[in-house]
Amino acid sequence: MLLDLSEEHKEHLAFLPQVDSAVVAEFGRIAVEFLRRGSNPKIYEGAARKLSVSSDTVQHGVEGLIYLLTESSKLMISELDFQDSVFVLGFSEELNKLLLQLYLDNRKEIRTILSELAPDLPSYHSLEWRLDVQLASRSLRQQIKPSVTIKLHLNQNGDHNTQVLQTDPATLLHLVQQLEQALEEMKTNHCRRVVRNIK
Amino acid sequence: MELSEYVQKGFQMLADPGSFDSNAFTLLLRAAFQSLLDAQADEAVLDHPDLKHIDPVVLKHCHAAAATYILEAGKQRADKSTLSTSLEDCKFDRERIELFCTEYQNNKNSLEILLGSIGRSLPHITDVSWRLEYQIKTNQLHKMYRPAYLVTLNVENTDSRSHPEISFSCNMEQLQDLVGKLKDASKSLERATQL
Repeated sequence: MLLDLSEEHKEHLAFLPQVDSAVVAEFGRIAVEFLRRGSNPKIYEGAARKLSVSSDTVQHGVEGLIYLLTESSKLMISELDFQDSVFVLGFSEELNKLLLQLYLDNRKEIRTILSELAPDLPSYHSLEWRLDVQLASRSLRQQIKPSVTIKLHLNQNGDHNTQVLQTDPATLLHLVQQLEQALEEMKTNHCRRVVRNIK
Repeated sequence: MELSEYVQKGFQMLADPGSFDSNAFTLLLRAAFQSLLDAQADEAVLDHPDLKHIDPVVLKHCHAAAATYILEAGKQRADKSTLSTSLEDCKFDRERIELFCTEYQNNKNSLEILLGSIGRSLPHITDVSWRLEYQIKTNQLHKMYRPAYLVTLNVENTDSRSHPEISFSCNMEQLQDLVGKLKDASKSLERATQL
């Protein structure tokens, strides 16, 4: 599958052959950093001054690179497809190699970042538990009531959320049984067939 | 057992065979237990033909006194001898003490369950449901091809009015971690009960 690069995108990337490979490598590093942490316009101005071009040009160049990397990573295109897609830009052999390396080196991390953009449910982080026995309450003395107190740690959109819950021994066993069944399900023929055939 | 003046006065009337004959006594006692333990019970518990001849004010007083006493006895896990002693102090005759203790014994379990369920506690997990999905792609990421679980815990709050659900997603490793920890907890529980 080849990347479909718009005219505008090709224009932005056309800046890259005009600077030497060290600069392109630096732009690549900036692009990935911006994907990790968000963009920082001051960097564009600094680079623009050093290269004696407008900061817009630098911005477009870096953004063009970002888009190239994210689209390639999103589609998980093969090395060959990447090379063919970049070929249409008419860059030098050296630049093409550099871009390919940039893609391969950062693909995994970029895909992780992209996966965080999906509709997000709270996700499991960890769990702590404690065994308690209730001995008495205001309304009933002399009790022996075992219970399990659970602290569930969840993550959502980078926020850490904790829930403190309780359950009784019978329900605990039921929970374990149900969730073990859930894990077993992945090993069934049906699931294996689906995993094998959807690629 | 410490009894308030109100309860004592009520029991004085209840102990008097002139105000309550044996039959009426038993009916009133049963009505008191029913009011406490039967969720559907209402004022009609005292609507019995054999109680009609008694002054309604007296009836209500004795009913409330009996119910108060029963709750206090339940809370303190009173045994037969404690009950006998305190009822003797209220001038109940032997027969009535026996009747009371028998009724109390019949209803003891339900009473303790009721009292045990009153009180604040943390949200209580009652059930779990899960969903296994195979993630193929999102609009931001194609070719994902990985299984994921969505787990929902059904939770009950003590006020029984809210039933929030706690849902979260996890991958296989995370679910294994979760199950592993819950299994540790249940093994610990088993060991503790064998001590």
